[in-house]
Amino acid sequence: MKGKPHGERLASLKNIGVSYRRRGGLHRQPPYWALEDVSLEIYRSETLGVIGRNGVGKSTLLRLLAGIINPDKGTIHFDTHCNTSLLSLQVGFIPQLTGRENAVLSGMLLGMRRKDIEARMDDIISFSELGDFIDQPIGAYSTGMRARLGFSVAFQVDPDLLLFDEALGVGDAEFREKSACAMRQKIRSNRTVVLVSHNSQTIRNLCDRAVWIDKGSTRLVGDPDTVLAAYTEMQKSS
Amino acid sequence: MQHYLELVWYKTYADLRVEASRGYLGIFWWALEPLLYMGAFYIVFGILFQRGGEDYIAFLLVGLVAWRWFDNTIKLGASSLIANMGLMQQVYVPKIVFPTVTIVTNTVKFLVVLTILLVFLLFYGIDPGITWLALPGLLAVQLLLIVALTWLVSVIVPFMPDIRVIIDSGLTLLFFISGIFFDIESLPVQLADYLRLNPMATLIESYRKVLVQGVWPDWGMLGVVVVFSVIVVLVSLRLHLRYDRQLAKIGLAG
Repeated sequence: MKGKPHGERLASLKNIGVSYRRRGGLHRQPPYWALEDVSLEIYRSETLGVIGRNGVGKSTLLRLLAGIINPDKGTIHFDTHCNTSLLSLQVGFIPQLTGRENAVLSGMLLGMRRKDIEARMDDIISFSELGDFIDQPIGAYSTGMRARLGFSVAFQVDPDLLLFDEALGVGDAEFREKSACAMRQKIRSNRTVVLVSHNSQTIRNLCDRAVWIDKGSTRLVGDPDTVLAAYTEMQKSS
Repeated sequence: MQHYLELVWYKTYADLRVEASRGYLGIFWWALEPLLYMGAFYIVFGILFQRGGEDYIAFLLVGLVAWRWFDNTIKLGASSLIANMGLMQQVYVPKIVFPTVTIVTNTVKFLVVLTILLVFLLFYGIDPGITWLALPGLLAVQLLLIVALTWLVSVIVPFMPDIRVIIDSGLTLLFFISGIFFDIESLPVQLADYLRLNPMATLIESYRKVLVQGVWPDWGMLGVVVVFSVIVVLVSLRLHLRYDRQLAKIGLAG
């Protein structure tokens, strides 16, 4: 059943606004509102797609759901205690440390316990295809190798609510295919996911519902086909 | 909570590893750099100005070692959040983790230098008396003071970056009036009492009494430092809790 929420409600956002203080000399500038009026609900085990043009506040929305920032107006409410995680790659990577040490550090920053990361180290090594390089300082890695390690670590995080921005770069073409495939599996599983994408096809294929954000406000929430049709219509006309 | 303690610990390990891997001499710089720094002061005040007299080197070094722990930690702590702005926009981490890592990292490095200082004092001919037992207590009081001030400046600086200039000048002033290269006791009583309002002056006097002169410190004055520090810790914790999620936004503003 696409478009109709099923399962219990996980979180609700009501008229959320987020403002950033602009920096500038002694004169106080008016704040910049990255989100002005966003309302939506998230249900357990659904995949919610977020679509919208660049700079309409999609990243801010993910940061808000991840608990990195607080709203300046409106309310955000989680119905049950739920840990959320924004999938970020190569968080806190330090060039002088080995791949293994960076995996532990990055995993801990993403909210995993140290012993859980160490228990999954074999998976990380095999997925990243790094082999013995895992014990080399990552400063000696190629960009692609670092990206592979970054994804393999972030992929181990198992939150109740997974937040994912498709615009993340994950290295060379071959690994991109592999990681995208793994990600799709994770999204299709019974997990709750909020997915930001520029690609209508991705949203259509993966999401149960979609929300269209425009100029910091929710324009439309519903089944992906309806929302995408309206979004495409608007893009044509402008 | 336990997770974040683990994180502080691992991040400290990581930062120390990074420092150790820098340059050819790596970890030896932890000892070498303070030695050069202290050597410079010895040349100026011990040889050029002919200050002090008996035990002046011991007197000077005890003050300098304690001061450097305080000064370095606060200066680095002041920019600890700004240095991690990128990180805090990608993941949620309680912001107090960052200055705490600075404190632990600097304390480990300080302990290396302190060990060298104690060995030096023994070779210098100072007999370790019963009063050396007070040293852990003094270290604990200074650590508490450092935690208090580092947590405080770390949460203020991101909102008012300019304040770092004031912190730096303030530390320079404190450096000259903390009695590092002169004895506060030798000043007129009224002036000395004013200077003792500065907690570092009390701490440095106490270290000297305990380590060099073999006398117990003024516990009452140390108690005042503890009370002051605890108040600042409580205020800083409140500020951190209150602004935890505001801080991540600062780096995002255009």
